Formats: sequence, structure tokens, C-alpha cells
Amino acid sequence: MKRTATILVTAALCGAAQAKVDLVTIPTRDTVQLTIYNSADMTLVREQRDLTLKEGDNKLQFSWENTLIDPTSLEMIPKANADRIDIQDLVYPPRVNNLGLWNVNSRISGKSPVEISYLTSGLSWRAFYMGTLSPDETSLRLQGYVRVTNNSGEDYENAQVRLIVGQVHLIDQIAQLAQQQPPYGRPGEITLDYYSYDSGAIERPKMKLSKPSSRIVKSIALDEAPKEIVKEGLSEYFLYTIEGTETIPNTWSKRLPSFDVSEIPVKNLYKYEEDRYGMQTRRFLSFTNDTDHALGETPIPGGAMKVYRSTGENEHLAYEGQSNFKYIPVGEKVELDLGGVQDVIVEPKLMKVATGNFRFNNEGNVSGWDTTYDFRIEVRNTRNVPVKVEIKRNFHTPYWTLEKAGDFGTFEKDDSDTVKFTLELPAESVKTFTYTLTTRLGENRF
Amino acid sequence: MKYLTVILAIAALTATSATARIKMVALPERADTDIRLDNPTVTLIEEERVLTLQQGLNQVDFSWNGVSIDADSIRLQVIDHPDSVTLLNVSYPPNEQALVWEISSAEAVQETVRISYLLYNIDRLVTYKLVADKNETQVDFKSHLVLRNFSGEDFENARVLLDYGEAFERGIQHEETKQLLFLSPGEIAVEKVWTFDAAALPWDPEYVGGNVGIPVSYVIKNTKANGLGEFALNGGKARVYQDDGRGGTIVLGEDNTQPVPVGEAMKIYIGDSRDITVVQKKMNDKQINIRRNNDGKIVLHDTDELITATIENFKDTPARLTLIQHIDGQWDMEACNMEYTLDDASTLKFEIELAANSKQEFSMHYHRRNIRP
Repeated sequence: MKRTATILVTAALCGAAQAKVDLVTIPTRDTVQLTIYNSADMTLVREQRDLTLKEGDNKLQFSWENTLIDPTSLEMIPKANADRIDIQDLVYPPRVNNLGLWNVNSRISGKSPVEISYLTSGLSWRAFYMGTLSPDETSLRLQGYVRVTNNSGEDYENAQVRLIVGQVHLIDQIAQLAQQQPPYGRPGEITLDYYSYDSGAIERPKMKLSKPSSRIVKSIALDEAPKEIVKEGLSEYFLYTIEGTETIPNTWSKRLPSFDVSEIPVKNLYKYEEDRYGMQTRRFLSFTNDTDHALGETPIPGGAMKVYRSTGENEHLAYEGQSNFKYIPVGEKVELDLGGVQDVIVEPKLMKVATGNFRFNNEGNVSGWDTTYDFRIEVRNTRNVPVKVEIKRNFHTPYWTLEKAGDFGTFEKDDSDTVKFTLELPAESVKTFTYTLTTRLGENRF
Repeated sequence: MKYLTVILAIAALTATSATARIKMVALPERADTDIRLDNPTVTLIEEERVLTLQQGLNQVDFSWNGVSIDADSIRLQVIDHPDSVTLLNVSYPPNEQALVWEISSAEAVQETVRISYLLYNIDRLVTYKLVADKNETQVDFKSHLVLRNFSGEDFENARVLLDYGEAFERGIQHEETKQLLFLSPGEIAVEKVWTFDAAALPWDPEYVGGNVGIPVSYVIKNTKANGLGEFALNGGKARVYQDDGRGGTIVLGEDNTQPVPVGEAMKIYIGDSRDITVVQKKMNDKQINIRRNNDGKIVLHDTDELITATIENFKDTPARLTLIQHIDGQWDMEACNMEYTLDDASTLKFEIELAANSKQEFSMHYHRRNIRP
């Protein structure tokens, strides 16, 4: 299913497709490297091919029927004899689709390696995770995976696969550029624009399903150890290079282990904030991407994570919930949202309301007053593990004062109209505290 | 696919209808041709042809069926014998993409004329390819020219002129696109900048549910000291790559650049950083200095506002963050723990040097004045 083809021809192309003459060689792809992005549908492909050049003018034809290659990204770079090989231009001939022609002037004859690079759509990858909590929920085993999928229309055999984590800025969708004829559009046409692009309106070329390749099955079976993934930072991105090469036929996916870290100390964090979560407590797993937590070597790419808990009985597992990871830089705190729970309860009760400090205007109407609320907050940890609970209270006005009493833990002003109480609760325990909130209304605000 | 023809006739045009025009006697070939692409919207073609003129009146039929020519723009210039060869008039036959020049010649002569016209649907794009080094202080800067010809006319060979650089010879067929390297000054300096504009980005990532990327841009000065500065750089798509240190590259991002005059800087927004975070909060926002009318209603007040931000650099390299804050109307700064410059009356710009793996607290306490509710 290889659909890109490189053909070296020795005579001039006379404007029409049928004028191509004197086929000399079809150089095979020697090596190929795929750099696949996950924030955009884009892959950088770099191929090495050995061309057999003759002295003088050479024409190199490259075609990409039924693929998703962006023709405007095509580039050829001599990897040897660069001072004697002059790539004069790249021509997209009239009335011929999916074909480019390099005019190359060579002062050598014989074989010479070149690199052909281009961007393609249709290859993608995503990260996903499995987390397993210890029975006492104080530590986590975190296993990361990546899944690479090839829907590009092209088979990539023995390709070095690299994955990029990062938020790349693109003007145009590669999939849309791949379908644009002619490659750079026509004069006067509105150029493609990322923001006006309606992904639903673009129909990708239909890809034929290829038969399962016995070669692929064999290569999987021969892999005796999981492949290592080398990670390094480049600019604002992280580059994951998968050891060795991979063969990913069109329409196939491959799952590869990314990392496996045990004994990550975690905290059970529960949050309560009526403006965000309603009346339900929400559970989070909290840790930091640093060396204190057996991590911190690289950022953790965003992805979905399923969290299990070891029950301690013959390594049976219990499913705790699913969270969507955001990208976590090295050193940043992670809070995995596992959803609403019933076993840690935060119960605020309004115990008293009072108004006072009335102010009257010249006409005798009320122009200002204070309202006082007495709240009692009861926090119940019905679980058999200790927990940390963050309770945010939203006042919806910056004109307030607060008096608090009881076991309210640590207290801080979060912003102009929000405060945060943080409590640590032992297993199966209850804590209660009260606060009196006075809000100033009308003229009493000033 | 050549549709544009010049026909030299030997007898006078005596009638106004197209059928009255006389037979072709010579079809002068196009000689030197210039394609001028210096105007961003319209392309000027100048082509020279040698006419074999008879003594007396001659007629030259110029037609452009299927070619996008502005008929009013067609000019004929006599090159060799301007004193003895005179263009008398121009006639347009009905229902045809054509005109007839009536030329008077004092003697039988081979005359070079230059025909110029505005041709549509032929133009050029400029694209940029930049490959940054690993430290992101230098880029290998290349600019490609993309010629697009959909005018209906083939040009076997022509001199192509832009508004900068030297002219070059190229042919281009109808419906053909050609991409060629045009500018390659080599390694030039680049500055990488991070920008957090408080009016454009969410203040608290926790409430976004994902990452808030800080826009990252490359800034390249179009100056002679920087290997450029010879001419203004056209706007176009710029793709930025980075050397991966292993003989390959990765794509950093792409942007449409604006035209950059000499001395100005090209700014290319390449992507978003998630390794620098800004968490901004408004910690106070109250009305003070209340003034009332005789009915006790508030007619004027000031505000007391406090904004804080926690800025963290999780990268293991330093970075300079441009933090942009906005305060509308009349205002006084009560206290600010970082220096700023004013971009305009309501836009404050803070240049913050962030050490590797560091955290800084920003605080801005200000009053907006004389607000009328």
C-alpha cells in the first residue's frame, strides 16, 4: 500500500503528464522517521533515499496519490555533495494532481543520498494511564502508555517513531492542505485559515483496509522486552523517541508502554465548593511531578486515566474512577479529579440569619444594612483511610467580614469573595466548625 | 496553451466590424519578457516583439482570448525609432478580446515594440522556513518564492522582478506553480518571548479544567546587523523548525507574518508553553471615596483594587515573560512590586525575568479614579 513514489527522469517534462519520459530509477526509501504530534493532526516525515544522478539537469518526480501529504511542505535536502547538487526549484506541473517535480542540477554523477521531508495528516498518538492505589491509598502505581494510529494512507515500514508533546500553533489544517488543488491555491482565492476551518465539512479520502500483515504479527511476537522510550525537552515541547523502529501499516494502531512507576506517595484530597460542584463532595488524588514522588524526570502528557485500588486480597482490584489528566510540567502539583463521592460528606448548615445596622435615606427608606449568617460546617470522613478536605465558601460580594470558631483547620482568603478552609481528618472521624459571615449591603458597603 | 497573439497586418482597417479586419501576414514572436511582481495585487507584464513594418500605415492586431488582461491597461511603446514610428490610434473590435493598433512608419523597418499590460491570476507568494538551533538563539533563515500562474498564458522564459532582490529568469506555464529558494542569509539571531495578556487568557487554570498555554513567539529583526535589512520582508506563511541535535528537526509551529519594513521586527507565534504558568486573582475590588448628590445618591467614587499573580517557571532554563495588565480610565498605582512601562494609558507591560524552576509573586494595588456610576 505504499503510495508515495519517487521517480528520477532524465528528460524535460513538457507541461503535460504524458510527457514524462525516460524512467531511470525508482529509488527506494532507505530509512524513515515519523515525528507525530498529538495537539494537532500533523506528522513530520523524513525519508532518506539514494538518488542516482547524472551530471547536468535531472528531474525528480515525487507523487503522493491517496495520501494526506501537505504538498507545500515538501522539501529535498542533499545529505552529501551539497555544494555540487543544486536544487533549482520545485514545480507543481499544470493539470496534474498529487505530483511534484524537482529540477536538480548536478555536477556529479552516481549515487548520492538525499533527505525528503514533508508533513502529513492521519497519524496520531495519545497517552493514557492506569493508576493502582495501595490498599491504604497512600501510594500509587502509575503506568503510562501511548497508542499510535496510522490512518495516513501510507504504510510506514521500519520507521523510527517519535512523539511530540506540546501545543503547536498552526495556521492551516494539514488534512485540508493535503486536499487543496493546486497546492498553493489560485491567485485571488481566500487562503486557508485555521479558525474558519470546519472540520466536519472536510471529507478525508477513503482508505482501503489492508489485510493483516504476517510480518507485523511476527515482529510483535519477537519483541522480548518492552521498548524503551527516550524522553528529552526541545523548545516548549517534549520529544519521546521510541527505541528501534516500528512498522505501522495504514489503518493499524500500536500500543507501547511509556513508563511504570511504583510507590508514588499520594494524598486523598476531597473538595467542596457549591459554585463549582454543587452540594456534592468531589474526590481528587493529589501528588507532585517531582523526585519526592518518584517522578519528576519529564512532564506527563495529558490523557485519560483509570484508577483502581488494590484490595489486598490476591491482588484483586476495585475500580475507583476515571480522570482526565492535563499536561503536568516537572515540579507541578497534580490533582486527579475522580468525581463525586458519598463517603466523605461536607454538610454546611445555616443556623441563624440576622439583619441590623440599618441606614435610612432622607425619604425614610432603607438605604443600607448588614446581614449576618451563622454557619455550622460538619465534615464526616466515613472511610477507613485519612483524608484531606478543602472547603471553599463563595460570598458573591467583596464587602464581608468573618468570625470563625471550632476546628476549622487552616484558613485563607482565596480571592476577593471566596475563602478556603483545609482540614485533615483521620479515618472514620468527624470535625465541626462554625463561622459567622457578615455582609454589608446598600450604603453600608462604603 | 498560448492564447495571447499579436498579428501584424499590411493593409489599413477600413471598416469598424471585426469581419472587415484583414489577414495575418506575420506573427511576431515574443522576445524579452518581464513579469513584474512588485505590486502585491496586480502583475505587470512587459514583452518585446519585433514588428516588420511597411512604409505608411500598419495595423497590429493584439488579442487575448481566455487570458485575464485588463484591456484598459494595454500599452504599446516604440523602442527603436520613436521619431519615425508613431502609434496613431487604438481600435477595439466588437465582441472580441482584442484590439488593433494603427501604426505609421516613415519607412519599411524592423521595429522593436514593448507591449505592457496588467495580467490577472498570476502572482507570487512568499513563504519562510526557519530552523532554530537547540538553544533557540539563532535560526537558519530561508525564504521561498512561490510563483502561481493561472492567467491563461504560458511564459516559456521570462525575467521575473520583485520589489526586492535581483531579477531572475524563469518560465512558467498556465496552471503551473513553482517554488524556488529566494533568500538565504544563513544563521541570524532570534529572540524567544513568552507573553501573558491578562485580557486574553484565563486567570485561574484551575477553573479552565486544562492547561492554559502561554503564547510563545520568535522575534527576528530585519536589520543589516542581523544579516537582513536590505529590503522589507513580505508577509507570508512562516514555518519554524528546530534542530533536534540528532541530525533531524521537529516542527515548532507556523504563523502568517505581516510585512516587515527595514528596521522592524518579524514576530512569529509558534505555539503555547505549558511549562510557565500564571495564576492571577483579584483579591480586592471595593468602592471608596464616595461622593453623593443632595439626594444622597452616589455620583462619583474611586475603587480600591488588588491583583495578585503567581508566576512559575517549571522549565530548567530561564525565560523572560512579558506580562500585560489593563487598567481602564483614570488610575493611580498605590503599590506594585514589579517595574512596568506603559504601552498606552490603560496597558501596563511588565518584563519579568524568570530563573529556571522558579516562582515569583506579582502584586498590583491600584485605584481607579472619579468613576461616575
